[in-house]
Amino acid sequence: MSKISMLGKLVIAGCIASSLLGAATANARSLDEIMKSKTLIVGVNPNLPPLGVYDDKNQISGFDATVAKKIADSMGVKLELVAVGSNDRVPFIMSDKIDAVMGGMTRNDDRMKVVDFTDPVNTEVLGILTTDKKPYKKWQDLNDPSVKLVQVRGTTPIKYIQDNIPKAQLLILDNYPDAVRAIAQGRADALIDVLDFMLDYTKKYPTKWHVVDDPIEVDYDCIAVSKGNTALREKLNTEIAALHKSGFIGSSWKKWFGHAMLHDPTASPTKY
Amino acid sequence: MNLNFFPILDQLPYLLGGAWISLQLAVLAFAFGMVIAMICTSILRYGPKLAGKFINAYVVFATNTPQLVQIYFLFFALPEVGILLSPFTAVLIGATFNAGAYLCEIQRAGFDSVRRMEIEAAEVLGFSRVQIIRYVILPHVIKVMFRPLSNQFIVMTLGTSMASMFGVEELTGRTYNLSSQTYLSVESFSVAAVIYIVITIVATFALAIMGRFLFRARTGVF
Repeated sequence: MSKISMLGKLVIAGCIASSLLGAATANARSLDEIMKSKTLIVGVNPNLPPLGVYDDKNQISGFDATVAKKIADSMGVKLELVAVGSNDRVPFIMSDKIDAVMGGMTRNDDRMKVVDFTDPVNTEVLGILTTDKKPYKKWQDLNDPSVKLVQVRGTTPIKYIQDNIPKAQLLILDNYPDAVRAIAQGRADALIDVLDFMLDYTKKYPTKWHVVDDPIEVDYDCIAVSKGNTALREKLNTEIAALHKSGFIGSSWKKWFGHAMLHDPTASPTKY
Repeated sequence: MNLNFFPILDQLPYLLGGAWISLQLAVLAFAFGMVIAMICTSILRYGPKLAGKFINAYVVFATNTPQLVQIYFLFFALPEVGILLSPFTAVLIGATFNAGAYLCEIQRAGFDSVRRMEIEAAEVLGFSRVQIIRYVILPHVIKVMFRPLSNQFIVMTLGTSMASMFGVEELTGRTYNLSSQTYLSVESFSVAAVIYIVITIVATFALAIMGRFLFRARTGVF
């Protein structure tokens, strides 16, 4: 074997491997297939308490799991929960490994190009978490080269920061516990995210935490399904509407978060 | 599945910038790891027994715990005692700590492969210890070690992908960023895979050429 041909073959092998990876297609399960299999597979982020959390028995629990279970029960199917992360929740849906995904799935234009969203289940009020040693009064104060923001890879606030707070330094870590720990240890100054989900982690540190009294924006969290899986989306919409009407979602939120939802999810400004 | 590589290829300079950081990490960790390994190997052969025991403990610890865990301690445990390392420094120290142990094992095996009678022959001929190392041990050891050392370098280059977990924006981290911005995950990681393949092929050839012409060591590539 000549030297060139070996190099060539290695490159070709790489290309073939990449193409095979790309060609590995799957098809989203239709509503009929889900009902027939009697199992609904839902992705939940267990690192987003109390939206998603591991319970004492190491099972996924939390607000999302409670709502998903109620929906599955109402559909007459068994619920199978799959742990997903901020990074991989959209790829999980796009590769049809799961039927639907929750886990803080904020509805936005970019995501709507690749997945379909149901009507909102809950809202998220985006805010700033920092410590009492920092002087920030509003989000504009963060747009400074001396400010070190820490965020979780793959989450919505990163785009917001790149567009609106470009001067701040940005440290991107893999998950929320690490991001909160980074602030507590002085590695970063602040975190922009849905603070309802963050405050649970802050209890682990003696740091004096401070939430800036200036919410940045309100986001709508929905259930995402594979693009074009209309029957499943419509079915989920019916279930979500019923859960809002019966007050189940509101009471579950209170149970898990200890307070009422800060913004009404049924007051969604746009219906998709 | 409809694949669209164009948005990813538009970002090729961004990804290649990440690849450059990956390569820097691998080269620095390998270089520092080699220094640690040489010191450890020398102490194991010529140093006091107690020091040798410490080095053995280090090798056992470093080779039996995941590199990820080692970096995690440096990144998140050290700040608890007031030592705050930057992401790059923490990953570099962790990778060096890990590499030093593996490279020590490779060097130890290389030195052990020198036959006792060759050293005795050199001693009979009146060679000094330095001359024995320079003319008898090293030429033999380098040939034996070169191939596993090259392999270790490739493993380390690919292992830098875990640096993304600690905020180092190397190739894998930037691929994740691109994937979460564009939602073109398969395309992003396919391009990253090809970049990794190219890096490792180039590194393999560079090391092979180096081994061939500097040390007359065969690595299997030539």
